[in-house]
Amino acid sequence: MASRLRRERRFRPRPVPMHILIVVLIGLGAGLLVGLMGIGGGMVVVPALVYLLGMDQHVAQGTSLFMLLPPLGLGALWEYWKKREVDFGAGVICAGGFFLGGYFGGLVAVGLSSRALQAIFGFFLMSAALLLWRQARRPPKPGIPHA
Amino acid sequence: MPKGWLRPISILTVACLVGICGGLVGVGGGTLLVPLLVLLLGFEQHRAQGTSLIALVPPTGLLAFLAYYHAHEVNIKVGLLVIPGVFSGGLVGGMIATRLSAKEMRKTFAVLLFMLGAWQAASALLR
Repeated sequence: MASRLRRERRFRPRPVPMHILIVVLIGLGAGLLVGLMGIGGGMVVVPALVYLLGMDQHVAQGTSLFMLLPPLGLGALWEYWKKREVDFGAGVICAGGFFLGGYFGGLVAVGLSSRALQAIFGFFLMSAALLLWRQARRPPKPGIPHA
Repeated sequence: MPKGWLRPISILTVACLVGICGGLVGVGGGTLLVPLLVLLLGFEQHRAQGTSLIALVPPTGLLAFLAYYHAHEVNIKVGLLVIPGVFSGGLVGGMIATRLSAKEMRKTFAVLLFMLGAWQAASALLR
């Protein structure tokens, strides 16, 4: 009961219809990026939930992980699969690594304060941005038309 | 690009580290996995993105989710509402990406992401 009260205090939704509309739009925007970049979408959903809905950092991250439980990238994956742009073996190995690593990351996160977690999230976004930038600057390999 | 038996081991190591970061900040991990596959393991860009999507098909965040769930840090209603949008958006995004050389778009996104991250870090540290 105490935990339920705590959750309600942290998350105060706006009047219902607007709130629902915002959430659906957040989902659409995140989905576009999922397909475009081959990423999970949580990266944009978490800050959107925090800033647009005023969610607590922990709850936003937990909600993002919940959203990622079903295979959301399946639609995007189908498009890549048709073009044979998928390395199945490497993908399976990565899935195993995520599974194990995610548990320990989650354990550490729930013990941290929301403020510390938000700072970590900010630095995570910045390093992801730097990696994306470097990746975009890499010259394409000869013989490969797209990259 | 590591060869032979070194390849699966290096992929697994990278994925484990990415998983830890993902669980820590509540995201899927593709964000870091795609650039690392390209930069460290020499994957071609589209192939890295397709491979990252394969890794996200099974519920890889399940254990991380349970850690948050036990701490009551999940809003299931909002999570369910986000799902249809992400799914249909993903389908459209995938169609666009396989027809597009996404270099400039990627740079724009990187800049936006960096500013978003800086804003989050600053607002947490200055609070």
